[in-house]
Amino acid sequence: MQEATLTRRSFVKAATIAGAVLAGGSALTGCLQQGGSDGGGGGTQVGGRVFYNSICHGCIQACPCKVYVEDGVVVKIEGHPDAPTNLGSLCLKGLNQIHTCYSPRRVLYPLRRTGARGAATAAWERISWDEAVELAAVKIAETIEKYGTYAFFCSVGGGGAYSFMQAMTTPMALGSPTVFEPGCAQCYLPRITEAAYMYGGADQSIADCAVLEPFKGLAPLEEAKGVTQDTKVLVLWAAQPSVSQTAQSGRGMAELRARGCKTIVVDPNFSPDAVKATIHLPVRPGSDAALILSWYRVILDEKLYDEEFIKFWTNMPFLINPGTKLPWLAAEAIEGYTIPADMPEDTPVYLCVDENTGQVAPLPFGDPAKVKATVNPQVLATATVNGAESKSAAQIYRDEAEPWTLARAAEFCWVPEDRIRAAIDLYTGAEVAGIANGVASDMEETASQVPVGLMGLDMIMGYINKPGATMTQNGPLPAEGEAPRPTMFWNGFGGMFGQMYGIGYEVGATKEANEARIKAIEDGTNPEAPPFQNGPTLFAMNQLLLDRLGMKNHRGLYNWCHSHIPSVREAIETGEPFKPRVWFDMSGNKFAVLGSAGAWYNAIMNDGPEFIICQYPMITSFQIEVADLIFPLEEWLEATGASEFGQLNYGFPSPGVIHLGETVPNSVPPKRVVDAASVLLNEKLDSVTFGATGKSMTEMELQFPLGLGVMGGINSEEEVWATQIAAYGGVLGLDEGATREDYLEAAKNRADAYNVTPPDQYWTYGQHLVTANDGLPMGFATESRKCEVYNTLHIKLSRTGWPYCYPRELGPIDPRAGTWGGDYSPICNVPVQKEVPEIANGGDFVAPYDPEFPLAITSGRVYYFHHGTMRHAPFARELYPAPFVRINPATAAQYGIADGDWVEISSRRTQGSEYVKGTGLELSYSGTKEQNTKTAEPIRTIAYVAEVVAPGVLWMERFWNPECFDSSQPNKTGGWQECNVNVITNAIDCNFNEVFGSYTNRGFTVNIKKSERPANVWIEPREFEPFMPTTANEYVADIGVARDNKELLTPIVEFAATEGGA
Amino acid sequence: MPKRTLVIDLDRCSGCDSCVVACKFENNIGLGNYWNHVKPVNPVGTHPNIDMYWVPLQCQQCENSPCITACPTGASYRDPDNNVVLINKEECIGCKTCLPACPYSSPEGNVRPSVRWFNVEENVTEKCTLCNHLTAASDGVENTEDTTDPAHAVPPCVHNCSCGARSYGDLEDPDSKASQVLARAEADGRKVCMIEAEGVMPAARYILSESIAAWRGLGD
Repeated sequence: MQEATLTRRSFVKAATIAGAVLAGGSALTGCLQQGGSDGGGGGTQVGGRVFYNSICHGCIQACPCKVYVEDGVVVKIEGHPDAPTNLGSLCLKGLNQIHTCYSPRRVLYPLRRTGARGAATAAWERISWDEAVELAAVKIAETIEKYGTYAFFCSVGGGGAYSFMQAMTTPMALGSPTVFEPGCAQCYLPRITEAAYMYGGADQSIADCAVLEPFKGLAPLEEAKGVTQDTKVLVLWAAQPSVSQTAQSGRGMAELRARGCKTIVVDPNFSPDAVKATIHLPVRPGSDAALILSWYRVILDEKLYDEEFIKFWTNMPFLINPGTKLPWLAAEAIEGYTIPADMPEDTPVYLCVDENTGQVAPLPFGDPAKVKATVNPQVLATATVNGAESKSAAQIYRDEAEPWTLARAAEFCWVPEDRIRAAIDLYTGAEVAGIANGVASDMEETASQVPVGLMGLDMIMGYINKPGATMTQNGPLPAEGEAPRPTMFWNGFGGMFGQMYGIGYEVGATKEANEARIKAIEDGTNPEAPPFQNGPTLFAMNQLLLDRLGMKNHRGLYNWCHSHIPSVREAIETGEPFKPRVWFDMSGNKFAVLGSAGAWYNAIMNDGPEFIICQYPMITSFQIEVADLIFPLEEWLEATGASEFGQLNYGFPSPGVIHLGETVPNSVPPKRVVDAASVLLNEKLDSVTFGATGKSMTEMELQFPLGLGVMGGINSEEEVWATQIAAYGGVLGLDEGATREDYLEAAKNRADAYNVTPPDQYWTYGQHLVTANDGLPMGFATESRKCEVYNTLHIKLSRTGWPYCYPRELGPIDPRAGTWGGDYSPICNVPVQKEVPEIANGGDFVAPYDPEFPLAITSGRVYYFHHGTMRHAPFARELYPAPFVRINPATAAQYGIADGDWVEISSRRTQGSEYVKGTGLELSYSGTKEQNTKTAEPIRTIAYVAEVVAPGVLWMERFWNPECFDSSQPNKTGGWQECNVNVITNAIDCNFNEVFGSYTNRGFTVNIKKSERPANVWIEPREFEPFMPTTANEYVADIGVARDNKELLTPIVEFAATEGGA
Repeated sequence: MPKRTLVIDLDRCSGCDSCVVACKFENNIGLGNYWNHVKPVNPVGTHPNIDMYWVPLQCQQCENSPCITACPTGASYRDPDNNVVLINKEECIGCKTCLPACPYSSPEGNVRPSVRWFNVEENVTEKCTLCNHLTAASDGVENTEDTTDPAHAVPPCVHNCSCGARSYGDLEDPDSKASQVLARAEADGRKVCMIEAEGVMPAARYILSESIAAWRGLGD
């Protein structure tokens, strides 16, 4: 790498050569070319440039790319041609990363607020790293000493600079249970968790790279190895890869369709993938569960399922005890029943109706060919067991689907009946098909129902662990006869925290095995236990689970160790059950991405957290409004990946190729702050109270940091370089001890610097059929060892917190929170949708129609941004300056709105309301909140009038406007109130999803009227000039180097107060 | 005569605007100036019986290029080696005569989509050059081992296209990428379209299957 430092002079010179200095002289367009002015202003391209293989961080996916560096400046990014899915593509989010990195909105030094909170009074002073870490540590330690460990909390999410592990473990390290992320329950947690509950395998999300199989065999390099593309029918249920993952899965979808793959797209919006679909089902926002049940009704009635799979690999034939809502066990239901000798204790025998005899019969687990010889399980069945009329799980599903004839579903979901039928026929008629389930349901009350329903569909169809299916597993197959039966460990990603501290029940293992594991930890008798695994830590970590905010009702959140967001906000507002007081936020614009943003703003500004620490590469609405201290983080082009990033079976490096200011990897500040706070707190263990226990840390036999401390926390950049070199040193011929400099020299211009896993070690199938060490097929990681289409774990979870809270227990959920007779529903059902447009024949499935808010609204990503990122990227904003609201021409005409008009959109969150107590519509289960929902003023945006949504439906993406606190604004605001759909979304009353507590970002109701452009919002392309990369910044070549030149150290973020600030 | 152009597969294009941004970075185009566009051709019909497509639009490399005839200074010209229609900005006097002459441009070159664009800051008209500074000698069949290889280079809008929709090359050369893609589309029975305008004979080609949408040019 050229280490030449970029000076102001050389930067301007480079720009001038390229003819890029614009009228103001302050902006650089792209600084991409050398020399020449022939027509295109171009010249030769390579010259002093070098490139490095890297992997784009512009969205949640990861496109391999090449980053070109010239004189220490990133001058060009392009997609890597060898990438197996994006195949050389790179979308505008990736291309615009140059502008993100060199944005004038970067935070390059630690900043401390000097004025009052609020955008209008925001002012900052630059402080040193040591001062910043000390300030954070002192504030945390003082607060914990005064109020106990639960006064501290963390958050993460919102796009960019993700610090998931650090955010989850930082509060644990300081003895607090509170952490949240605006994604999580609203993004991916429900789908990944239900997959774990139902079969212990990969879920149906394309965006989160769980669904990889359809993109196999697209690349010429892989085709040459004989790898084939096997997905011929793909259902995109509320997913729009062409928009959300534009160059990766978007490119993949373009390739799939070009190869003849047929697609069914379920989406209220005429998204690009809907435009190109074989069949488009423009479902009414929020009504997906009813549509799913109409599929079940047809498939079960017409026996379109895979008969062998549904009978022998799912729990659909199991007879369910109506009292417990759990499957009857043969041993409990049949007097004198003896479990067959060859059946291991960890594999229960259930009951079914034997189709051959019509009698109730035990259904042992095993190779279908053998089990068939003794019993032929009936799918739809009802029988009397121990005097109780007991239905098979399939029969329960069928009964729940009874109202959902195709005609009723068409009426309810606003989709033509013949299209629903055609979609079912295409899906069920394929030799193999697969469903890819997008984010929409995570943002609705049906966050658990929809993934349960959709994974169940693929399961009863037998579209699982097969070439061409979406639910497949990657990696080498276990050897025949050697592996134990699969189990699932709980708490945290993949059971990580469970394994670290011992908490949680290992599902699939016997009760005795679980008890023995806990006892060994408590007794300290396991010689191999790591030092942080011991009785006091286990007890403390378990206590954090029991006391976590929102776990009374929404326990699926345990899977990521997160709190329920509205419950956190309520705790901040009311101090009940405890008041979170010092906040460490680890990414993104919370006001853009949190539902009911106004409620959060009010909670913070009205006697909210006393000190707010942020770490982020940018100034966003959140930082400008409320941060008291900001740690500067690296952007992608500076950041070295802590591990291998992948696309299918290809791993690409992620080297930081430049460095600016005093930015650090996102894993540094949490570690340094926790370490520093621990030193202060460990001097006062006698007087520091552990949370709600009332006991001191000394009495609890604990000290700081608890357990493992900050997971993934590091002290310096060198540590991440070591992992990078470990992963890619081999292909570059580097030794283990190689340094960053060695890597950057060796990787220069090496397009082949990546790793490939051989296809046969990656694309594998039929995992459940491999013989386990007990002689039975492996099966799946559930209690029954089968696919639990009837989700038994939901029932147990809602009653005791099992398996997460084991060895301790929670009481049952508030019965009003459960839609299955007070428990979490084990199948897809249709909970009452709270805010709906006028629907014919809605029956009991919808709350009363509110004519004040007659229109349904939903949202979805646009190409230009990921989550809350990049609203400061000028080349994105000039193309998409505002979050255009999509509206049908008939609806627009009704409201006197023309294409391009500014409109105002209101909801209950901007108008207020009086909810009636006792109707299930209370704002809070505890009933402690005032019954007023007005949190902010209505939002405004531009109407895009076209036949792209149905009449009565609106569609718009989240937004925030960083221009609102630009120095040029006479009246600065935080820019989160003007055009942000999250001002009107519903996170304040309790129609939360039962399992995950997901609130309603989509599928609620609004009103709309013609309006005016807000004065402080920019629309014209040239207005975005202040967002262009600017030479007002100075870029320092090495991490942490504060050069002895005052001019060069000028903080780039100059947000002088409008008035009243320092 | 060589007939260099882009061939764009509208069955693939998702309207993502990445080509616009790739162009801006490559050619140092400032805010408010554009050398290419993506025009959504909005649905006709009534929801849900609708179809739509997107037309990426840039200089159509017309055989009878009226811009060259109209230009008073010779600033609009063809590359003597490969026949690509270009503008020499040194010769352009900003008179805007070429703008109304071009059927794909707005009269003032300032309303999207307009393939010729009036750059107010520099007082010149600009447009897509097919990245001739990269591609002058290229057949458009990209060398994936060296994307800068001048014999095979492609414009960044083609390389980065998120849908693999764009191909570059000389339609008179059957081995060029553009020709290969067109031949394949014709063999598959997919419709090959042009944005017709009287007498100009555009070289740019668009592929759009009836199963996706009925071709209606740039729409309204």
